[in-house]
Amino acid sequence: MTWKGLSIVTNAESPIVVVLTGSMEPAFQRGDLLFLWNRNARNAVGDVVVYNIEGKPIPIVHRVLREHHNDKKQFLLTKGDNNPVDDLGLYKRKQQYLDKDKDIMGTVYGYMPRVGYVTILITENQYFKFGLLGLLALSSLFQRE
Amino acid sequence: MFSLLQRGQQVSNQAISALSYIAFAIIALFLAQLHFDNAYNLPSQIANIETSTNIRYSYSAGSTSAKGKENSKIKFDIDTDLSSLFNWNTKQVFVYLTATYPGKSPESSNRVTYWDKIITDPKDAKLSLKSVRGKYSVYDREFSFRERNATLALEWNIQPWIGPLVFGTLEGGQGFSFSKPEKPRK
Repeated sequence: MTWKGLSIVTNAESPIVVVLTGSMEPAFQRGDLLFLWNRNARNAVGDVVVYNIEGKPIPIVHRVLREHHNDKKQFLLTKGDNNPVDDLGLYKRKQQYLDKDKDIMGTVYGYMPRVGYVTILITENQYFKFGLLGLLALSSLFQRE
Repeated sequence: MFSLLQRGQQVSNQAISALSYIAFAIIALFLAQLHFDNAYNLPSQIANIETSTNIRYSYSAGSTSAKGKENSKIKFDIDTDLSSLFNWNTKQVFVYLTATYPGKSPESSNRVTYWDKIITDPKDAKLSLKSVRGKYSVYDREFSFRERNATLALEWNIQPWIGPLVFGTLEGGQGFSFSKPEKPRK
């Protein structure tokens, strides 16, 4: 409920995301939480954006390196702070720029360190997942109503 | 009787509301301190700008045809002191040199990055750089920069330990013109 509300207010499909890779280190590390906003008509150079390339499963969090806009459209080139080259190689074949309207899922405006690591543990570490599920099951067995 | 679940819920509710008050206080203090440190009106000097343009043919240089693409590079001096961007909540400062130039129509505009630097230690906040080459070879959506005028400016982004990302532009922007492309070597 809160999630859907937040999603509507920010106009971002997922208003809070967890960082999964180290390509923006030292700014963002794995497990950090990012808060997104997607009601801006344009992005500025230096903004950190989350974008999704068609056919690729995981959204990417990188910084805007160049922007070209007119009154209708904006094209962006991005780069990870910790990567040696820009993202041209990450885009689709023959795609030279991101389209602000189509590809950008949100702009990062807020940051909270480490909290999201729980979700990484749950999705990537099966012992942690089953341990957590086991604990929940045990607590429901032992509690008195 | 309180069940384990109810207690857990109460504790987490308390924790969440306490945390959100703390977060709010941190953000307010952080932004207020930046304001009082005059972070939004810092001076900078950009000098001895040299530009060069050549035509490159690789895809990574923006070329998609045999015609190639104009690529622009610059060399410059920078003098500035970013110390007041560092306070107790600053994890890193990302400082970047951008050029802004007009597009074909009056509504269009372009901004590109030539150089950037990550500063994590306040001791490195004083920048005094001589004859630095830009990190990036820049191309436009059009084939050519058409020797347009552009404005160079230093911009910064503070990455906090917790809270909002803060952006600003240093004073002391400088104009330059894209140079004519050099003749390709035969």
